[in-house]
Amino acid sequence: MNTRDDDYDYLFKVVLIGDSGVGKSNLLARFTRNEFNLESKSTIGVEFATRSIQVDGKTIKAQIWDTAGQERYRAITAAYYRGAVGALLVYDIAKHLTYENVERWLRELRDHADQNIVIMLVGNKSDLRHLRAVLTEEARGFAERNGLSFIETSALDSTNVDTAFQNILTEIYRIVSQKQIRDPPEGDTIRPQNVEPIDVKPTMNTDSVRKQCCQ
Amino acid sequence: MDGLYNPENDKTSFWKKNSKAIPGRPSPKKDIKSGTRSKLTGSTSFQEFQASVSDAWAVDDDEFCIISGVDNTHISKKVSESAALNVLNNHRTSSDQSMNIQTTNKGNENVRSNRIPGRPQQLRNTNNQDEDCESKLERFESLLGGTPTIAELCKLSWSGIPVKVRATTWRLLSGYLPVNQERRQGMLERKRQDYWNLVKQYYDTERDEAYQDTYHQIHIDVPRMNPSIPLFQQSLVQQMFERILFIWAIRHPASGYVQGINDLVTPFFVVFLQEAISDNQPFELFMVELLSKEQRDIIEADSFWCLSKFLDGIQDNYVFAQLGIQRKVNQLKELIQRVDNTLHRHLTHHNVDYLQFSFRWLNNLLTRELPLRCTIRLWDTYLAENDSFALFQLYVCAAFLLQWRKKLLGETDFQGLMLLLQNLPTQNWTGSDVGLLVAEAYHLKVMFADAPNHLQNNQGDR
Repeated sequence: MNTRDDDYDYLFKVVLIGDSGVGKSNLLARFTRNEFNLESKSTIGVEFATRSIQVDGKTIKAQIWDTAGQERYRAITAAYYRGAVGALLVYDIAKHLTYENVERWLRELRDHADQNIVIMLVGNKSDLRHLRAVLTEEARGFAERNGLSFIETSALDSTNVDTAFQNILTEIYRIVSQKQIRDPPEGDTIRPQNVEPIDVKPTMNTDSVRKQCCQ
Repeated sequence: MDGLYNPENDKTSFWKKNSKAIPGRPSPKKDIKSGTRSKLTGSTSFQEFQASVSDAWAVDDDEFCIISGVDNTHISKKVSESAALNVLNNHRTSSDQSMNIQTTNKGNENVRSNRIPGRPQQLRNTNNQDEDCESKLERFESLLGGTPTIAELCKLSWSGIPVKVRATTWRLLSGYLPVNQERRQGMLERKRQDYWNLVKQYYDTERDEAYQDTYHQIHIDVPRMNPSIPLFQQSLVQQMFERILFIWAIRHPASGYVQGINDLVTPFFVVFLQEAISDNQPFELFMVELLSKEQRDIIEADSFWCLSKFLDGIQDNYVFAQLGIQRKVNQLKELIQRVDNTLHRHLTHHNVDYLQFSFRWLNNLLTRELPLRCTIRLWDTYLAENDSFALFQLYVCAAFLLQWRKKLLGETDFQGLMLLLQNLPTQNWTGSDVGLLVAEAYHLKVMFADAPNHLQNNQGDR
């Protein structure tokens, strides 16, 4: 199967969500191709890219889905939350409204994504210091209260972009590998009764991981 | 699959409207298989055949028949159909054949004349293209000078419209400009004034709180529309786009502004701009401030009205949950499964979901997949499809996917497939490639749109 530079131990599906214009596509372009476009085209529907990183000597392949920010698209983009084990919820540090909408995005994830999804709050455009509208500490506090990890990035000057992806992928990896020690593969997960179970537990078996993540 | 195929749609389709008894086209009403040669030859002259399928060929190609020249040449439906298919196939495989510029063809577009049996193959962009254009231009000018019917205009436009008459033809095809010469000027003046009244009423005044989200979305989308083309970086141009989109959005509350509609203004804007600037000046670098305000206002108002008319036919693409698109994605899947099951199985085997790549194709009508110059040529055909564009769009996407069949089959995993599908190498596409694409789409439509069972056959299998 793997005819490309494509051997990996884990395949994790991660989604990029957040308001329109906060820089999701540029975060993806910076992380996967080390590119940045000041005026990149708006994303229509979803776009896909991938990159592999090393954690503890293991190759982790991140399959990243970039989604359109406009509310109208949510009916379409919500389909892509399925099977995602991580989400970068992005806002623009210079636009307070995009930060206020973070709660709506969290609800969106709760409604459509797996309950165990790892979420990282990302304040992008940290290079716009003079225009800052969202205080770092305020966002950090919000993240802590909601059990999210938090980081500020700049896709423009590359600050923290790799770190953000590295952190969330490592966090997912830790959870998955600990789970494998703790639970047998068929181990039950406790779920609230009103949540429809979605089978997204990654395992060491790359084949099954691939199937789950590509859906 | 509900709503998968609705034969009702076909009743209003362009092709059916034009079709009477059409040899060379599988007709649900006539059983071709049972038709014997003698039966067919008795009823079908070659001239009839030629007249009936002329919508599939460039209008100038009819000299093909003059060459053959013999009245009452009889030809069977089967023969004519297979000949047409052969020509299409030949073209695909022989684009690199040596050329022989015999200017016997005054065809409008090389790609089309290439399909004529017995005629030397030509390379693209040969120097008799000008001549081709001239011939076609004359036909357009004589048609536009009178009171053309929309059907005549569609027929002539389908295979591409010369730049010089494109703006007027698009206005007519959109249904914005009346065909009747005497009514044209008055109507234009009135509609343009209407547009500016709308701007005054909704845009220039304090904007309603309810529209703030719409305005905001348009405002952040317009500057990033065509980052590589300087024309679109000018604030005057961006303001024009913002007004067009905002007024359109508030006049269409069922859909409102949806990201991507901004790209659909572009072809209209460029064509009306080209009309206003002197010949051969590249629009990409043009500074719109060089135009008078009056000229700019005309470009803006006409873009608005033509966009509105055009989108009227595909509004369900942009309503809540984008149901029109979701339905077409399913239809596309069914169609590919039927036409090219190998490709379909390859995609599904690697877990590629049609929604993942074809959503953008359908939402943006391929504007994101093609260079702008090709988009404009594609729009000639889109507009010439008139009322049946909503259906034709599906076949264009199918033809577009099939175009990359070989490359796609060469990809061996999900990642490779998705990356290819998102970045199809169309940078060097020309009008000829678009001509071939729509010809293939037409072919698919003839084969499948008029034969609903073709699509339904496989439904039970899954």
